[in-house]
This record gives sequence, structure tokens and C-alpha cells, in this order.
Amino acid sequence: MIESFFTWLETSPIGAFVKDQGATFATIEAIHLMALAVLGGSVLVSDLRLCNVVLTDVPSKTVTDNAHKYFKISLIVLLVTGFFMVSGVAVKCYHNFYYWVKMAALAVGILFAFLVRAPLLRRDHAELNPFTLKLVALASMSIWFLVAASGRWIGFSG
Amino acid sequence: MLNSLALRFAEWVDSLSISSGLHESFYLYNWIETTHVLTLMLSLGMLFVIDLRMLGWWLMDVPATRIAERLNRPMWIGFSIMIVTGILLYTAIPIRTTQSVWFRLKLILLIAAAINAIAFNKYLSATGKSWDLDKIPPKRARCAAGASLCLWAGVIVCGRFIAYDWFDCGKEMSAFMNWAAGCVASAAAH
Repeated sequence: MIESFFTWLETSPIGAFVKDQGATFATIEAIHLMALAVLGGSVLVSDLRLCNVVLTDVPSKTVTDNAHKYFKISLIVLLVTGFFMVSGVAVKCYHNFYYWVKMAALAVGILFAFLVRAPLLRRDHAELNPFTLKLVALASMSIWFLVAASGRWIGFSG
Repeated sequence: MLNSLALRFAEWVDSLSISSGLHESFYLYNWIETTHVLTLMLSLGMLFVIDLRMLGWWLMDVPATRIAERLNRPMWIGFSIMIVTGILLYTAIPIRTTQSVWFRLKLILLIAAAINAIAFNKYLSATGKSWDLDKIPPKRARCAAGASLCLWAGVIVCGRFIAYDWFDCGKEMSAFMNWAAGCVASAAAH
């Protein structure tokens, strides 16, 4: 069923649009990279603050609250551009091990960001155990690094 | 003449054993490229935070100079890694890269971004204290930040497009594109 969905996706109007011109896929991919930079910036500035590495003289809640807005915006852009990219090479992605590693990491990342990290950080940070904050920050950076690295490796293994 | 000089330099780099070693190694080249791409999350991620503050779009309650000063070091750590990996990527495939219109455009945009950054830093040092606490910085700061975002977006786009062969030497192209890509006859062929 999943394979037939991927086959359908590649032959759908979206897949045809992406494959029509080489520049289409390349442009979408470039936008995907720009959004990756913004997501990376929002994750790193927020998580490195929680680890007391950067902006240590700025309240951590100020940094994390501000960063979350750009995290959400860049994640939406990444999901949309990612969907278009997959549409153009859907069958290849279906058979690619690293694509599924990325999807699994992405699912974990999204669930972790919105169900664990965000609710925790909405509380007053002074009330939270510093070790817990650092652990959440390290987990967050690790997950998003895995998403990005496995995403890049899709291109090497296809 | 510049194109011939650039090609001769590329051919010399190509003759080095490190060049073929990097090019023929599956894992090494891929790891270097992956590091180059992933590090942009650090370097450009920090840069975007700084630029968005200078535009008055992010962390507006924090003094602008503090954002710039505090995020400068991680940004430069990221850029240092990208410069090293970028040089290694060039060393692996020097001739095709030298004759890539996108690589050339990327270098021009990098130089423009550097000039913009130097000019802005001078302005920030001279006047930053007077508008540091403003949620919306002055127009000059906003223009510099906007230019920075556009230039770096261009760097990302050109960097990604290097892999595509639309304007490779040997393809049917206009005389202008052949010149822009530096398509000259190889000195080694004579």
C-alpha cells in the first residue's frame, strides 16, 4: 500500500511538475536548504542557550520563546519543500534506507519538539532542573542533526 | 587571460595526489560534503539570528550589539569549518569547479557578503550604542541585514546548483556563457 502510494505520487501532477524541468527540483532543494539554515539557527541558539553556551546574559525563556516562532516557520517550509522533492523521486526514496531513517528521525523530532520540549519550556525555567534542561537541549540538537545528516546521505546512496 | 590562469591553477591542483585521493574516496568526499552542508546550520543559522535582530524581527527585547557579539564566535567557528571543507571540496574536483558558472557566482556573492559584513560591523561599532535598545534598528542597519540575507541566500542557491551540469563546458552555450564559465582550451592538451 505504501509502495503504491509512492508510485502514484511520482506519477501525479505534483511529481510531473517537479520532474518537468531540472531547475524546478534544484530550486525547491535550494529553498529546502535555506529553511534548514533557519531551523538550524533557531534550534542551535535555543538549545545552546539552555546549555549555557551562548547568550548567557539573556534570560533563557526569552531566547527559547523567540526561537520557537522561527522553528515553526522553517519546519513548515521544510515539510512543504520536502514533500515536493520526494514527489519527484518518490519510488527511489521508497527503496532508500536513509530516506526512512530521516522520516523516522523527523517524526521523533516533531513529536519531541511539540509534545515534550515546548510544553516544558513554557514553564518558568528557574523552576526546572538545570540538568533536565541540558538533557532536553542535547536530545533536540542530536535529533535534528540526525534528520539533516540522513537527509544529505539520501543523495549519496541513491 | 584570467580564465586561462584559473584553469592552469585548477590543473595544477588536479595533479596533486590529495586531489585524486579525495575524489576517489567514497566516504571521505561524502563526509566532507555532508559536514560542509550541515555546518551551514551553525554558521548561517547564527548569522540569520543576528540579521533578523538587525531587521527588528527577532529578540527585539535584547540589545542588538549583544546579539551580534555573543553569536559572533559560534558563527565564526561554523564559517571556519565551512571554509576548510570548501577548500577540500574544491581540491577534490578542481577543474569542473573552476569552470562552473555557479561556483564563480558563489565566490562573487561571498566576497560581496564579506564586504557588506565589514562595512556593517564598522557602522555597528561607531553607532551601535545609540540604537542598541531600539526594537527596530535604523534604516542603514536594516538595509545591511536585508542585503546580508539576500547575499547568503544566493550563496546557498549557487552552492546547490554547482552539482548540476546545465552550463558545463562542452555543452552548447552562448559565447557569453562560455566566457562566464571560463571554458578555455586546456593548457595540458597542447
